[in-house]
Amino acid sequence: MLLIFEKSQEGKKGVDVRKPEVKEYSYSSELLRSDLDLPEVSEVDAVRHFTELSKRAFGVDDGFYPLGSCTMKYNPKINEEVASLKGFTDIHPLQPEEDAQGALEGIYMLSQLLSEITGMDAVSLQPAAGAHGEYTGLRLISSYHKSRGDIKRNKIIVPDSAHGTNPASATMAGFEVINVKSNEEKGVDLDELRAVVGEDTAALMLTNPTTLGLFEKNIVEIAEIVHNAGGLLYYDGANLNAVMGIVRPGDMGFDVVHLNLHKTFSTPHGGGGPGSGPVGCKMELAPYLPNPSVVKYGDEYFFVNDPDSIGKVGSFYGNFLVYVRALTYILTLGKEGIPYSAKIAVLNANYLKKKLQDIYTTEKKRHCMHEFVLSLEKLKEETGVSAMDVAKSMIDYKMHPPTMYFPMIVHEALMFEPTETENKETLDSVADLLRKLHEMAYSDPAVLKSAPHSTVISRPDEVTAARKPIVRYKKP
Amino acid sequence: MGNYVPLTENDIKEMLETIGVSSLDALFSDIPKKIRLKELNIPSGKSQQEVSDVMKALASKNTVYDVILRGAGSYSHYIPAFVKNITSRSEFVTAYTPYQAEISQGILQAIFEYQSLVCIMTGMDVSNASVYNGASAAAEGVLMCRERDRNKAIILGNVRPDTLKTIKTYASAQCMEILEMEANDAFVEMDKLKELMGEDTACVYLEQPGYYGELYSADKIAEAVHSAGAKFVMGCNPTSLALLKSPGECGADVAVGDGQPLGLPMAFGGPYLGFMACTEKMMRKIPGRIVGETVDHDGRRAFVLTLQAREQHIRRERASSNICSNQALCALTATAYLTCLGKEGFRNVAKACVSLSHYFAAQLQKIEGVELQNKGEFFHEFVTIIPDKSEEILKALAKNKILGGLKLDSDRILWCVTETSTKESLDNVIDIVRGAICC
Amino acid sequence: MSLYYAQTHEWAETEGNLATVGISDHAQHELGDIVFIELPEKGKKVVAGKFLCEVESVKAVSEIYSPVTGTVVEVNEELESSPEKINEDARANWICKIEFERVPESLMSEKEYLATLA
Repeated sequence: MLLIFEKSQEGKKGVDVRKPEVKEYSYSSELLRSDLDLPEVSEVDAVRHFTELSKRAFGVDDGFYPLGSCTMKYNPKINEEVASLKGFTDIHPLQPEEDAQGALEGIYMLSQLLSEITGMDAVSLQPAAGAHGEYTGLRLISSYHKSRGDIKRNKIIVPDSAHGTNPASATMAGFEVINVKSNEEKGVDLDELRAVVGEDTAALMLTNPTTLGLFEKNIVEIAEIVHNAGGLLYYDGANLNAVMGIVRPGDMGFDVVHLNLHKTFSTPHGGGGPGSGPVGCKMELAPYLPNPSVVKYGDEYFFVNDPDSIGKVGSFYGNFLVYVRALTYILTLGKEGIPYSAKIAVLNANYLKKKLQDIYTTEKKRHCMHEFVLSLEKLKEETGVSAMDVAKSMIDYKMHPPTMYFPMIVHEALMFEPTETENKETLDSVADLLRKLHEMAYSDPAVLKSAPHSTVISRPDEVTAARKPIVRYKKP
Repeated sequence: MGNYVPLTENDIKEMLETIGVSSLDALFSDIPKKIRLKELNIPSGKSQQEVSDVMKALASKNTVYDVILRGAGSYSHYIPAFVKNITSRSEFVTAYTPYQAEISQGILQAIFEYQSLVCIMTGMDVSNASVYNGASAAAEGVLMCRERDRNKAIILGNVRPDTLKTIKTYASAQCMEILEMEANDAFVEMDKLKELMGEDTACVYLEQPGYYGELYSADKIAEAVHSAGAKFVMGCNPTSLALLKSPGECGADVAVGDGQPLGLPMAFGGPYLGFMACTEKMMRKIPGRIVGETVDHDGRRAFVLTLQAREQHIRRERASSNICSNQALCALTATAYLTCLGKEGFRNVAKACVSLSHYFAAQLQKIEGVELQNKGEFFHEFVTIIPDKSEEILKALAKNKILGGLKLDSDRILWCVTETSTKESLDNVIDIVRGAICC
Repeated sequence: MSLYYAQTHEWAETEGNLATVGISDHAQHELGDIVFIELPEKGKKVVAGKFLCEVESVKAVSEIYSPVTGTVVEVNEELESSPEKINEDARANWICKIEFERVPESLMSEKEYLATLA
């Protein structure tokens, strides 16, 4: 398919704006740029172009999307309708507080709801994504220790099963990273943890359920070990969907948490963003949350700035329209719907796992939470068909592949997270397909190794892309 | 109660049987009993219809102004119907990051086109797929200039407060020193700048137009910065790039800015998008996602996420940024906006902004007691000095459903005029301002 | 002329006080398709066993450690545009030349090195 630039023809016009009825103002030439080579296409050409692009994309509305750790649940249409109300879209971030009471109230309500769901005392919605939330949360931890004169605490402990973002965020927040190995059950090794905690421990970052989709059973002991050493516990909320309304990070012993509204709270991913990564914390850390926060006096809402705050982490107040969607979702589900959704997410994952565990390697002794990891190491040894080959083959059956090659501690990993919004018929057909692909790996491996076959392109050459980068269109 | 679970009671029963447990609760046996929650202390769920009413009531508590003369980082522009229609297609909205290139060519190509448009506008060689917003783009832009022995940044001139604060937040965790050097309007004391720059200066950050709309001689500043061996980072309003000399033409090494003016609603501050572009030399230092062109195994053109070795999931603790997403849907919006307006339409938007703002500034100055703070050229924002009248003027405008400029202090107001205003509406504003000053 | 290997998979061919340095065939194989190498700067002082430069493959970034202590006097600029040459022949395509004083005791002969891989 051609690029929009290749469809451009001199003289074609798209949408125009009103010509002002005032004298044209011109700058002297030294301020002006030379040519601006934007594409020239008609509106209908542009519509066809983007419509064709959309047909080359695949969203949750198109089919099964079991990306592990990404919680690709259905994005309710009502959320979109609400987020397009003029009273939300057409308000200026710097209009007076009294003219934006609805917006402030929405921010306040969502912060309160998320505080209760996470068991935290305060929440800031400002971070724009999960990684941004991690960064913000770690900065709170840094400020907290420093405010107590505890300046030696410069190390963040991260399990080897963690998302790669955890250590990157810790480094950006000015910490050193200590990696700890997992135990046989792929949880935190308590002895190893005891050995690394000390006077320099700022915090332990943990995802619970872990990236293997298992609940960290020793969480209370882990919290004790870290707290006794003077460190704090950071909760990576990537996997909250499994336990929302069932157990709260605050009750597990965590001091700081970030959430992903685009995972757990049904706001759309938009092909990679915008997301939203609110941060919650216990009372002792609340003064350090990003400025400003919203408070309620009587029936009115105000912005306040705390002098001890870590400052600003971005423009204005974060991704407001994402909050509006998440608020709509939480109000719809309420106190019953939230834990029920978590339970069904766990049911769906266990059901699918059960239907696959006799032929693919996975944890069989324990129930998984909202996701599970299959290892295709044996299949690869016996047939040469890799996790990637199986994943790519799913595409030919109108399904999005699961997360591949993560967590890194499992070889040839495929990580499935079906979410609560898939029905039983879909799960049955997925199980049937994965069993069929398993058979085909032995009978006809070549088909899998060259999959997908039904897409607009076959597998791309990533090596050439990285060696000889072409990252923009250039006029021939 | 509402939820989006598509299972029947019978489905659940059958599934539990298959798994071999008696109840849903039995699946949670790994969670220690003593920490389990009895019940969430939040309201019960509601029907969609009820929630819709609640949210509409909330929206109606916000004032939607007929005329908006406030900018300062969020701009009211006309958004063509095309933009909203195209970007609300669910294949775009409900997709994840395009990790699986074979079924994500649409999103990857859209990002590639976005990157190309950013390069064209900024005159730079390489753009990433966008970051959170303008302030975070500026912070990342400053951080990416760090070198082993250069760990200081100079923030030059009048910079938007949120941007400055965000740069400071990010720099402080990396022990990067931030110096601020003021400018009087757009006048920069070059000797002072040269003195301030040393062998430890990584970069100089300048906003063009500045916070007060002022336009700097960015090319001369770039020259001075380069002669000190530092990098030049320019923060730009994209609408201004339709007319003004691009960062590339000025000699910038990094160009950043907020893409909100490109078809994104003001939306109380977000979501927006931060754009980031740089010279080819700095390609491997730019953070965030990048889409590249390659071929598939059959030789067909294909797009993929590339240069991933720069990114956090590969580098882990050795990463120099932790950004691992982009504002893809906002980048698509900007791409759709620039495409449907095209070369001529986009220039016309900028011209209308400039002509109307200059008309408005001239009319204001005709009122006795009104002075312009800007002495040199400005784009579509400028500051008036009207002693002790800020509050009264803005109140009088608000009564007429007009959102006036931003109050900087009791004397000064920062105005912004875009193509959404007409001569008639501006004349009306002038009358109200005159009335507020006289009485 | 003598050939040494480091435990961290670099080779050093020494002639007088000059060591020509590259990565082992085993290392290039483990890395997979190399897409970029950030060459060290000429004149840079390096320490045996410490960071020399970085090499990227499609899905990994790895640090290369200097096998000797000394000063970088020459870099193989050809690798800047054609990093894949390392995959083609890791022994022939050197990364840089380092002026050094003595061979660290930790370095191994080729035979010893190959034995550690077995």
